Parts: sequence; structure tokens; C-alpha cells
Amino acid sequence: MKTLRKAILPFVVIALFAFLAACGGQSSSNGGSSSDAKSGQSASTRTDKSKLVIGLDADPPQLDPAMSTAAVDRQVYQSIYNTLVDIDKNLNYVPELATSWKISDDGKTYTFYLRKNVLFQDGTPFNAEAVKFNFERMLDPKLGSPRLSEINLIDKITVVDDYTIRIHLKQPYAPFLSVLSDRAGMMVSPTAVKKEGKDFANHPVGTGPYKFVKHVKQGDLVVERFDKYWGNKPKIKTIVYKPFPDGTTRLTNLISGDVDIVNTIDYKDIKRANSAVNLKVSSTESLGFQGIQLNTKVKPFDNKKVRQAVNIALDRNAIAKVVFFNGVVPATSPFPETSWAHPSDLQVPKADVAKAKQLLKESGLNNVSFTLKISPSPQEKQLAQMIQSMLQQVGFKVKIEMVEFGTLLEQIAEGDYQAARVGWSGRTDPDGNAYAWFTTNGTLNYMKYSNPEVDKLLQEARTSLDQEKRKALYDRVSKILWDDAPYIFLYYPKDYKAMKNDVEGFVHVPDIMIRTENLQFK
Amino acid sequence: MSQTNAQTAAPYPNRLESSPRLRSLKKALGRFFQNKLGVAGGLFLLILVILAIFAPWLAPYNPMKQDYMAILQGPSAKHWFGTDDLGRDVLSRIIYGARVSLKAGIISVAIALAIGVPIGLISGYFRGFWDEFIIMRITDAMLSFPSLVLALTLAAVFGAGLNNAMLAIGLVYTPHFIRLVRGQVLAQREREYVEAAIAAGISHWRIMLRHILPNAWAPIMVQATLSVAGAIISEASLSFLGLGTQPPTPSWGSMLSEGQGYITQAPWIAVFPGLFIFLAVMSINVFGDGVRDMLDPKLK
Amino acid sequence: MVRYLARRFLLMIVILFIVSVIIFSLVNVLPGDPARLMLGQEATPEALAALRKEMGLNDPLYIQYIHWVGGILHGDFGYSLRDHSPVLKTLLQKIPVTLELTFFSFVVAILIALPVGILSATRRGRLSDYLGTFFALSGISLPSFWLGILLIYLFAVKLKWFPPSGYVPLSENFGKSIALMILPAITLGTHLAAELTRMLRSSLLDVLQSDYIRTAYAKGLLERAVVIGHALKNALVPVLTVGGLQLAAFFGGSVITETIFGIPGIGQLVVNAILTRDFPVVQACVLFMAFMVVVINFLVDIAYSIIDPRIKLGEVSKG
Repeated sequence: MKTLRKAILPFVVIALFAFLAACGGQSSSNGGSSSDAKSGQSASTRTDKSKLVIGLDADPPQLDPAMSTAAVDRQVYQSIYNTLVDIDKNLNYVPELATSWKISDDGKTYTFYLRKNVLFQDGTPFNAEAVKFNFERMLDPKLGSPRLSEINLIDKITVVDDYTIRIHLKQPYAPFLSVLSDRAGMMVSPTAVKKEGKDFANHPVGTGPYKFVKHVKQGDLVVERFDKYWGNKPKIKTIVYKPFPDGTTRLTNLISGDVDIVNTIDYKDIKRANSAVNLKVSSTESLGFQGIQLNTKVKPFDNKKVRQAVNIALDRNAIAKVVFFNGVVPATSPFPETSWAHPSDLQVPKADVAKAKQLLKESGLNNVSFTLKISPSPQEKQLAQMIQSMLQQVGFKVKIEMVEFGTLLEQIAEGDYQAARVGWSGRTDPDGNAYAWFTTNGTLNYMKYSNPEVDKLLQEARTSLDQEKRKALYDRVSKILWDDAPYIFLYYPKDYKAMKNDVEGFVHVPDIMIRTENLQFK
Repeated sequence: MSQTNAQTAAPYPNRLESSPRLRSLKKALGRFFQNKLGVAGGLFLLILVILAIFAPWLAPYNPMKQDYMAILQGPSAKHWFGTDDLGRDVLSRIIYGARVSLKAGIISVAIALAIGVPIGLISGYFRGFWDEFIIMRITDAMLSFPSLVLALTLAAVFGAGLNNAMLAIGLVYTPHFIRLVRGQVLAQREREYVEAAIAAGISHWRIMLRHILPNAWAPIMVQATLSVAGAIISEASLSFLGLGTQPPTPSWGSMLSEGQGYITQAPWIAVFPGLFIFLAVMSINVFGDGVRDMLDPKLK
Repeated sequence: MVRYLARRFLLMIVILFIVSVIIFSLVNVLPGDPARLMLGQEATPEALAALRKEMGLNDPLYIQYIHWVGGILHGDFGYSLRDHSPVLKTLLQKIPVTLELTFFSFVVAILIALPVGILSATRRGRLSDYLGTFFALSGISLPSFWLGILLIYLFAVKLKWFPPSGYVPLSENFGKSIALMILPAITLGTHLAAELTRMLRSSLLDVLQSDYIRTAYAKGLLERAVVIGHALKNALVPVLTVGGLQLAAFFGGSVITETIFGIPGIGQLVVNAILTRDFPVVQACVLFMAFMVVVINFLVDIAYSIIDPRIKLGEVSKG
């Protein structure tokens, strides 16, 4: 009998655990379903057309656009919030919460005529006071909003009447509308902010087509159709965002799981996505650039010849082919081909090892070595090893250091690096790709690069409203940046979105956002 | 990562006599070679060691050589194990990877021994407050952490890189050896010959090093051998998760993690490194079992 | 008896205290500024300073430790640096997931170990024995991440029998949940199955030699009945005890399996937290895991002391 008791104890323990497991557990689904494990699911087998599952490449950290610093949470904002103005496929500004607007001749005063009969998801009416509240909130230094640097040229905000608001800028600022098409233009409910305070990020309320239901960390983020939405009533009732940090897993769950659309696929998976019979793939050029950031305040990159040597030694075409399977466009400037500021006469040169060696010799330095910091994804590792190998031929000794992305950003901000593999997701207006990065003391200028000529050109470009004039200025900036090489431009990412064949209504805008209000199933 | 810990409580017979020792050594070796599996394991280990030492001569290609015309190719006459995403020869990387794995396994365990054995000896011999409350409780505490999580945290604290990973793994294994050695010492010190030695006025250190330790050596060695296997898996796990060896150094663990992303289009990148980890660990386990049987067949 | 238990309980508290000190020290040596990690790339210096003050990062370490422990005793495990959500809430969401995985791995392990172990011991020296022993040997040596990747490749990609990754809780959809659990459970359970097989075989072999078994044979009972009835009961004991202890180890061992199969359990949580320097989460998770191990060990000790009188006297102590 005693031995029996001995034997029973572990069983009891296990049974207890099993009981807990069966009862507990939120619906923290991370994707995958058994019924459609076989690929080739056709549209006619979809029974539930009221739910759409979106696969994201990361879990959104928080849901307050004023505090957003990541790229992935912006996808969720498309459902919950509206912006004052939106952009279309061709990067033209179209009305959203503002039905029309007027810009004064001196470019310093913007008058927005707001849409009437719009409600926030908690019932609060949307009006000029609400817009004023939002701007003042973002401008408040105590909040520490990353949007501050985007709108700090706002001088005064005047509520003309319930549906008209006037914004006065300290100086002309051509990118202002583009900024308002992104997170700085997203309107949150003042009532909700006052009620939740700091916790607003976990209980977001906007005017968008879907209202927030719940978010399980690293699991499901659920939003539900907002029945009092001012626009077209969305056909799909529930949208679930699921994070899949691993690209292969994400695609596999799209092919044979219950995910309907993914916000991005790895370049190495493009072929696989294209050949899957139940998927369609949409691609567009994006707004950003990627490359290597060089710290111009430390050795060896305080030496211009060294930077130029790196710039000319890298074979951008080979990189695009091997790492990205030609899914990206080789780059030479901060302005991708989608931008009107793209310098069409700055060609991508072939890698010139001889010239690089020459430059290195001219620099006067021997045995040049440095550490390249990268974030630890497999793609970054592969790219870094290619760079390492190419530079080795020239005579550089490169050490690769993998640093978690958040820590990497921190180290860059503190100047604790020599070279870092960091890029920029891009903004609609070319100023958003250049000013903060390349002006002396620019908020994102972690290269500590300073060229008074560039400063002058960029300042002029952002105050002028004449696009042709601005283009000429940006062309000159591109050439100077190529020569000074504080940043080694490598490629412009293209955005690939894959989705099941029966997903309709998706418009691929270069800002890579999935706009959910018009999605439906065939 | 739970390694089969030798729960050896039974003390070893005293083998201080010398000429029968030679005879028993021969007998032991004879026993070892009867264990075919153990011999096979030992042989494979030998092969691995040879591969590791003579890698530059044995590997067909430079493991770092990138060939953009030959990326993601399957096994062929030119590349027996295929190529990876940068066109590097997988076989060569596996051969050089043997260096990393063996190095990691041996050095981690060496660290654990270097710290654990002295502490276990002193703690078990002198006992008292320090032993009972401080050392044993700290050991218990460290053993309460899941080993991989503890190794991960330590590796994150020390920073990435193989050396830091080996230190982290070594520290994780240290408490196991403290416990083992202490247990052995506890058993030995009750013996008559120890009492006699103390009565004869021999210093404690001499007793510990000259008499107790040699008798306790056998289970320590067996455990050390088996721990090498665990350390190899630990290093592979750490590299798999991104801590551990840094690119472009080939390590079986990091090759496995690189290969995971290509499992649908180029499975060989993941399959072969994993296979080698498996074979290495199995041979160590089997060899270790053989050594244990050789030293004392009663322990089966 | 009570004195023994009281002593063990006290020891447990001491160990837990040391565990908490170790965790706290380790995590606070981790490089990275929590304030900046929370606020991100575009944070202003004023916001950083304010947050650091609020989080008490400028206090001496022992004060921070006391705050932390005090918080835990009140159920406040702090807030994640990544998304400011309460750590306790996250923990409570993830724990059942890992428990489910652990449970199924256990089931798999027992389903494999019992028949293989019994067959191997009863048919000693024949083919089934060799196969069984070989299985035990390879199972122990198989790296779980390799096995996991192979299983995904074979069953999810090539054969498409199972979905490749993900998780659905039992309460939501029983069928889906099980289907998603099969491959991870096999991955995690194989190692345990191998160990259990080995132990079962050897302890069965021991028991089968003993006198009362031979008496049973002599009495003429059917071989099978003999084995199952008597030998198993005795042989199972050390096996199940080891199994029970392994249960606690599963919390840490599930790390890699959860990562490969995308199962949102504690293992995945703690790995992500370590890699992203989310200190409060790391502290809480590791503390929880160690806590489980210590408590389970203590419970097993209690069970043993109730059953085996020798131990009450403190003779057979640990280490």
C-alpha cells in the first residue's frame, strides 16, 4: 500500500497541472489550424467570412500613436485610428478626417476643414477641440512624445469653429501634410486619454473603422467593427492581428494555416509565396532606405577616405541578388525611386576594389579594423557576412557583433559604435528621409555628421513649396552625401505582401500599411 | 538539456594497493573493449578530435569562402553536404564547427571542474557552518534554475561570444560537480584510513589531495565525460538563440539556426549540423557509459 | 516528523531567498538602460531622466531589491519594459500554455517509455531489448532543437499532416489544440521518454530477479500477470519520482521547443525577455521557474518522508 501511495503522488501532481491547463489559457492563439493543413484551400471552402487574420512580423509593443517608436504597431493603427489626411497609391494627399484644407501663401498657416458627424469609438464627438487637444498633447515635453520633433514648428493652434482649425507654423514647412498623414495626424479620443492617463496605450480609442477589443502579449490582438464609423461600413466584422517573428513560420501559416494576409514576407520566401496556389503576392517599392551608419566622430570613420573606400568597395548588386533574391533596389541616396526626389543621374556603381584599396592607402591608415553592429536576425547575419567578406578583400578587418535591436538603438544614440546596420522606414516627404538624419544636430543624426552646405540645402528645401526647386536642392544633397559617405546606402527595400486568393480590396500604398476598412472576402 | 546525472551514492572500493592495480587496470581495459558500443563511441570521438585538430588539412574548402554563384545548392560531388546561403561549403563548416563544439564542451567542463572540485573537496571535508548553510544552499539555489535559462542569462550578462558562453556553461555545471565531489568526500572521510591518517598527524590538505581525491576521481571523471556532451548541446543551444559564437565562425548550433529559415528549400543546411551534434553527444554518452562500466561494473 | 518537515521548510525558504538574490544581481548586471529601452529611439533626455527617477533606478541596489521583493509578496511583479503591461498578468497567461505542453510531453513520454521499457526488460537479450536500449540511448542524445526542426520538416512541410506551429488553448478548440501539440510534445517528450525507458528497464530488471517474483512464477501465475502485477508497481516508483522531478525541469527545457513551434509559453517569454533586456520579465520568469523546482522538490521530500520512515531521521539527506 505504501508503495502505491508513493507511485500515486506524481500522478496527482500531473493531474492537477492538467486540470489547470485545461481551464486556464486565454485564447492566446499564435496561428495554425489543423483543418486546412493541406495547402490549396480554395475560396469556396471559406465558411467564416466575418473574421480576417493578419500576420505581423512582430508583436505591437503599445497602441498610442503619440508614443509609437516601432514600425509594426502602425499596422494596427490603420484599423483603430484615422489621420487628418491620408495618402493614396501615388503619394498624393487625400481627405480623411479633414475634408479640405488651405495653405497660406507664405506657407506658414494651414486651415483644415474637418469632417462632420464623426464619433470616437467611445462616443466622444470629433471636432476642432479634439484636434487641438491632440496636438497640444504631442507638443507637451512632459509626455516625451517622439512626434514632438515632427511637429515642433507649430507655433499656435486656433479653433476657428467646431469644424475648422487653424495651425500657425514658425516657418514654412513643406513636409507638414506628410507628417499629418502618419502618426502625428492620428486623432485619439480626449475623453479616453483623460480617463486612462498613462494606460491609454493599452486601451486605445480612435475614430477608425475598428475598435480595440483585447491584446494578449505575443498573442492575438483583436479589433471589432465600429458600427458608428463615419465611412464605408467595413464588410469584415473581426480582425485579428497575430505576431510571427520568424518569416518562414509566418508564410507557412499563411499557406496552410488560418492567416489571411501577412504584412511582410522574407525575401528568401518570395519564390515560395509566388508558387503557392492559394496565395497572391503584391509588391511595391517602399519609402525607406537601408545601409550602414558610420560614426564620423571615432576612428576609423572620422577619416573621409576610409568612408569612401567602404562606399565604393561594396558590390550592391551582388548583395541585392544573394541576400534579397533581387527583391530590393540597390541604393545610392536617401531617396528611393518612389520619391520625386530620387536622383536619377546617381547610378549604382560597380564595386571597385582597386579604387577602394587606393583610397585606403591615401587615408594614411594601416590595418584598418572596425566592429559592425547588427541586429540578430538571420538576414542581417547573412548581409553582414557578405559585407565582411567584401571589405576583407580591400584590406579591412571587420568584426561582426550582434546586438538586440533596442539595445542597438540605445548604443547608437550614445555614440557607442563604429558602424551599425541601421536604416529608416521612410516618410512620404523627402524631408522626412533627410532632415533629421543629415543636418548637424538632427534628431536622428547619430553619425554626428556635420556639413554646413547640407544644412543650408535641406533647410531651404523644407521651407520652399516649389517641388521643382526642392528637387534640385535634394539632388545636390544626394551628391554630397555620396561623396562624404557618412552613411553607406545599400538598398531600397521593396514591400511584399502575400495574402490568400480570396482577400479583396487591398490597395498597396508605398507606406506599406494594410488599410483594413475596405478589405473583404470574395 | 537535462543531462543524465550520475546519482552515484555508493562509494568506491579502495584501490590504493599498487601492483594489483596494474592487473585490475588491464582487467578494466579488457572489460571496456568488450563493450562494443563504448568502443564505437570512442572511435567516433577520436574521428571528431582528428577532424578538429587537422581541420585546415581535411576541410575541402575554406569555411568562410563565399561563392555567390553557388548559393543554396544541394549535396553534390563538388559539395558533399551542399552549400549554404552565402555559397559556403557545408562540409568544411561542419569540420571547423567540430573545433568549436569540442572546445566548448571541454573547456566548459574544465571550468566547472576547476571551480567545483576544490569547493566540493573543502566543503565536504571540513563541513561546518560554511558547508551546511552557505555553500550547499547556494548550490541548491543554483540547481533550482533551469540550466538553459541560467546559461542564457549569464551569457547575456557576460556578452556574446564563444568565450563568454563557455564561462556561462561552466558556471552552470559547477554546482553539479560541487555536489558530486562533496558526496564522494563525505563518504570517504568516514573511512578508517582517514581516521588513521588524522591520528598520525598528516595535514588535512595532504589527506584531501593525496588520499581522498584519488579515490573519488573515478565518478568525477565519468560525470565529467557525460557533462561534455551536455556542454556541447548547451553551446549549440546558446548559439542557436543568438548568444555564443558570432558570425562568421561556424558552430553547429548557429548553422542549425541559420538552416531553420531555409528548411523548406535547403534542408541540408540544418540537417547535417544537427546530425553531427547528435552523433557527438551519443558517442560521448556511450563512451562514458563504457568508461563507467570499466571502472566498476557493479554500477550498472 | 514535524521537526523534519519544519527543517525542510525552513531550508526551502533560505534557498528561495538565495535564488531571489542571485536573480536580482544577475539581471541588474545586464547591460542596457531600462528607461531608454522603454521610451525608444526618439526619446527626449527629460523624459528619460523623469522615467529613471520614477522607476527608482537611481536608488542603491539593495533598496531596489527590497522594493522588488516587497512587490512580489504583494503580487506586484512589476511592468514589462516593452509594453508596460503588468508582468503578473502576462505570467498568468503563459503558465497554462507551458503546463499544457508539459502535460502532453509527459503523456507522450509515458506512452513510449512504458511499453518500450517493459518489452525491453522482459525480452532481455533479444531484438526488442536491443532496439529499446538503442532508442533510450539515442533519445537521450538527441538535441531537441534538431528533432523539432526535423519533425516540422517531415510532418508539417513535406507530409502536411500537422500544422507547422502555433497554439490554440484546449478550452477554445479541442481538436486543433491537440493537433498543434503533437509535434512539440514529441519533441519535448522524447528525451524524457528515453530516460524513463532506461530507468524503467533497469529497475524492472532488478525487481525481476528478486525472490518474491520467483515465488510468483513458481506459483504458476501467467507471466504477464506477474510482470504487471508485481514488478511494475515496484519498478515504477523510482521512475515516477524521477519523472515528477523532471516535470519541474520542463519549465526550463521547454524554452527551445516553444521557440521553434511558436508556442506562447513561459519558455518563449523568458527567452524573448532576456534577448530584449526586459528586466522585470526576466526576473519574474526565472524566479517563477526556480520557485517551481524548489517547491516540487520539497513536495517530493514530504511524500518520501511520509512513506519511508528511515528518512524522518534525516539520514538520507540530499547531497
